[in-house]
Amino acid sequence: MRRLHRLLWCALAVLAVHAPSALVPSAQAQSLLVPMDDAQRNHLKAYGLAFQAIKTSQRAEWLLNYRGGAFLLPDVPDLRRKASLDGISLEPVTDAVVAGIRAELAGGNMDAVVLERAPRIAIYRPVDQPPWDDAVTLALTYAGIDFASIWDDDVMRGDLSKYDWVHLHHEDFTGQFNKLYLAYRDAPWFIAQRQRDEAMARQFNLPHVPALKKAVADGIRTFVENGGFLFAMCGATESLDLALAAFNVDMAGPFSDGTPVDPDADARMDWARSFAFRGARIESSPYVNALSDIDGHQVNVPARRQPLGTFALFDFSAKLDPVAAMLVQNHRTVLSDFFGVTTSFNKAVLKPGVTVLASEEGAPWVKYIHGDYGQGSWTFLGGHDPEDAQHAIGSAPTDLSLHPSSAGYRLILNNVLFPAAKKKPRKT
Amino acid sequence: MTRGVVRVGWALLAAATVLLSPASSFAQDPISDALAHEDARRWPEAAAAYRVILSRALDSAEQGDLIALTLLGLERVWHEAAQRDSILPVVEEVLARRPSDPVARSIQFRSLSVAAREGDLREAFMAWRRATPSDAAPWREYVRTLMTMGRPLAADSALAEATRVLGRQRDLAGEAAQIAAALERWSDAATAWRTATEVTPWMETAAAYSLQRAPTASRDSVRTVLLAEPVTIESRRLLSSLEVGWGDPRRGWAALASVRTHDSITVAWQEFGERAESMNAWAVAQEVWTAVFERTGEQTAGVRAAQAALTSGDPEGTLALLERASGTMSAEQRAQRVLITEVKALGELGRAEEAARKVAQAERWLDADARAELARPLVTAWLRAGDVEKARTAAEQAGALDDDATIGWLALYDGDLVEARRRLVRATTRDAALTDALAVLARTRVLRHPGLGEAFLTLARRDTAAASARFAALADSLSDAAPVLLATAARLASGSGDSKRAVRYWEQVVAQHASAAEAPEALLELARALARAGDTAGATAHYESLIIDHSGSAMVPQARRELERLRGRVPEVR
Repeated sequence: MRRLHRLLWCALAVLAVHAPSALVPSAQAQSLLVPMDDAQRNHLKAYGLAFQAIKTSQRAEWLLNYRGGAFLLPDVPDLRRKASLDGISLEPVTDAVVAGIRAELAGGNMDAVVLERAPRIAIYRPVDQPPWDDAVTLALTYAGIDFASIWDDDVMRGDLSKYDWVHLHHEDFTGQFNKLYLAYRDAPWFIAQRQRDEAMARQFNLPHVPALKKAVADGIRTFVENGGFLFAMCGATESLDLALAAFNVDMAGPFSDGTPVDPDADARMDWARSFAFRGARIESSPYVNALSDIDGHQVNVPARRQPLGTFALFDFSAKLDPVAAMLVQNHRTVLSDFFGVTTSFNKAVLKPGVTVLASEEGAPWVKYIHGDYGQGSWTFLGGHDPEDAQHAIGSAPTDLSLHPSSAGYRLILNNVLFPAAKKKPRKT
Repeated sequence: MTRGVVRVGWALLAAATVLLSPASSFAQDPISDALAHEDARRWPEAAAAYRVILSRALDSAEQGDLIALTLLGLERVWHEAAQRDSILPVVEEVLARRPSDPVARSIQFRSLSVAAREGDLREAFMAWRRATPSDAAPWREYVRTLMTMGRPLAADSALAEATRVLGRQRDLAGEAAQIAAALERWSDAATAWRTATEVTPWMETAAAYSLQRAPTASRDSVRTVLLAEPVTIESRRLLSSLEVGWGDPRRGWAALASVRTHDSITVAWQEFGERAESMNAWAVAQEVWTAVFERTGEQTAGVRAAQAALTSGDPEGTLALLERASGTMSAEQRAQRVLITEVKALGELGRAEEAARKVAQAERWLDADARAELARPLVTAWLRAGDVEKARTAAEQAGALDDDATIGWLALYDGDLVEARRRLVRATTRDAALTDALAVLARTRVLRHPGLGEAFLTLARRDTAAASARFAALADSLSDAAPVLLATAARLASGSGDSKRAVRYWEQVVAQHASAAEAPEALLELARALARAGDTAGATAHYESLIIDHSGSAMVPQARRELERLRGRVPEVR
């Protein structure tokens, strides 16, 4: 009899624990699948939704190579509401469906990566710059992802250590103002930019802007070496590596530091300090609007300018090479190219070990590269604005609400999210 | 154009060349035979026939046109026969005797570029240059070939060399323009096109097509070039064409309007007036035709200006223009050419008695068709004047009682909602007023309601503020149509500049009829009003309510976009 009682109590206890879910039908699914293939209406905002989930400490998973790099999020009212407001396509799924998805992931070149912590994001940009002149600021603003703006003084003070992920756009870290001196020296915005940088150099007791920018570049190098994630686009890619390699060489024209370029500069470059390139030749003429031969397209040198084509994203193993796979998640594999101060990277100057993420078939250049440096990693994407292939100074700003499924902008947002991924032991 | 038509053209040209040439020693037959073979796709036979004609023509000093025709024929035939290279030895044979023959050179360049023989192309170009050192033709053909090959940078270099060697640019302005446009150097392209169209005005269409692609940020540089002194009709016509293409016909007209001294400016203005009309830019068309009228004194232009003014919603301007344009017309001419426009304008202004008097005075010159055409504007005039009885009488006299729109509106003004619904649904003319009326009628089951008729009649009299108040007041008595009546009242209040009252009506829709079809529009309008007042939080709440609670509404994309702008996530529209 006592055993019977005990059994009854146990049964009641089990019922008490499970009754709410077992007896009351739930109006909610257990998870929300955010498709990132052509079923998605707003791919860019979907990244903001995933970011929101991890920011509020909810479990989020990135399903690599599954439906364009879908996200699996918990079914909670806040996320549903944000998705409705932003026009993001959602597919509520039950645990049984999720189990089916996991089985599919296990059987192919797919994997689920847990996104565990929202990265602290900083964008290197002057605080008074409008958000419309930098594709990453544009993408983060549109997707609703929080970021801080940092500038030379923050880097010089060592504030980079407060962030996990830093973005650079078209700053010229060689301190030569992107060689715009000849064409724009009388333009008010150019004068203001020059005066601002010169004042900053004086603030840190540095003799000129090239010295300031080299010091800043070195601060960024240290940030990556210590485990930071760096994402650079446009002219920042090329000029950062040149500034690092030319740390002890005068490669700046006389219009920026008052002295001529070291005639032996090419030979004296220290490429061991740079991230991605080696053996590049610097362009010492102040009349040629290029910094070096790193860029394959040379958009600002009419006699060297190469036409735009398309570039293809490489396919990586989601299970063996998840970082590279994360960086190329997309609903398109072939994308239209777009110009920037630096548009592409000549293969001949890439360091061994650099991972090429995208390139143009048959061309001597690549578009999108990644590598490790110290305890951190860097990613370079050539070009200025994926939705404005020939962006020029003064061009109208890009309105991303007109390009909610931009495949090019997805590459940028992949970079924002991948530092959130839970580290797995490397298999390669 | 089909290939057959082209061939017929070539045949006619060939025949004419052969027949009209005094030195012709050939009968018409050989060319006809060759063309017949070509039409029958007998390529070897056609090629053989052309070869025979060519070898004979080469022996005669004055057969340049025939040589060109046969070379082009051979090029076509061998292209069709997939033997494109076969033309090159023949062309070289011709060039050995006629080293500066432009057709032979042109064919040679084309063939070499298709074969990707760039070195040989350069050699051929140098040979042509040596044959005619001061001629621009070799440079022009070479630059064009490089452009066709997708080599704008190489073309640019060749052009710079041409300018240096020839010492002049004008001969190659068209090519310079195309290169600059291909390299997106828009200011340079505009400068070159300006020169090119002044030298060869027929290039205007090509210039407009080329410069049309200039992005918004570069258009001011194009404008600066084309507006620069000295003023030329070609550059201004080009700019006006571009402005129309860029969606701003008013700027297009401004580019042309300031050209007043050129002989052919009137024609340019007339062409622009017709273009403005075709774009429904009626206010611009009014300005253009007024300018033509003032310059030429042509009555037709004055009447056209008046018609444009009426369509653009300026009845007072219409009457003033008609007065000036018809000053020297006889009474009969006035009846036939301006009366209908005049009656419509008077009707819009509610001056029905004056309109009726004008029609009565012109009675003797009106035929049945003209009377029928005048009936509708006259009925409208009486309705605008608020006199339903006289409108009905005018409709009876004009035999318009079988016109669904006229009778439907009269029934609605009487409050007979059944007849109004029955007739207005069948009305063949559709305008915004009719759509609004049908929207209200579709939402109520009430059979008769004089108050609703009065509200629409007040609106017909253009008393928007009073009409707005009447529609809002009806929301209580016509409860089934309350949301649409309040929305109509709000739209009218907003249109008459009373935004406070509009907001009050929209708030009523949201508070009392939250699930009505008008609720999304009310939320959107309220959000906009709050945003304008600087209440970002309130505006955001309304936008979000619309997106979440009415997710299927057609207004959701607009709400999302405005919400993004409010949050600063997309750039402001410039």
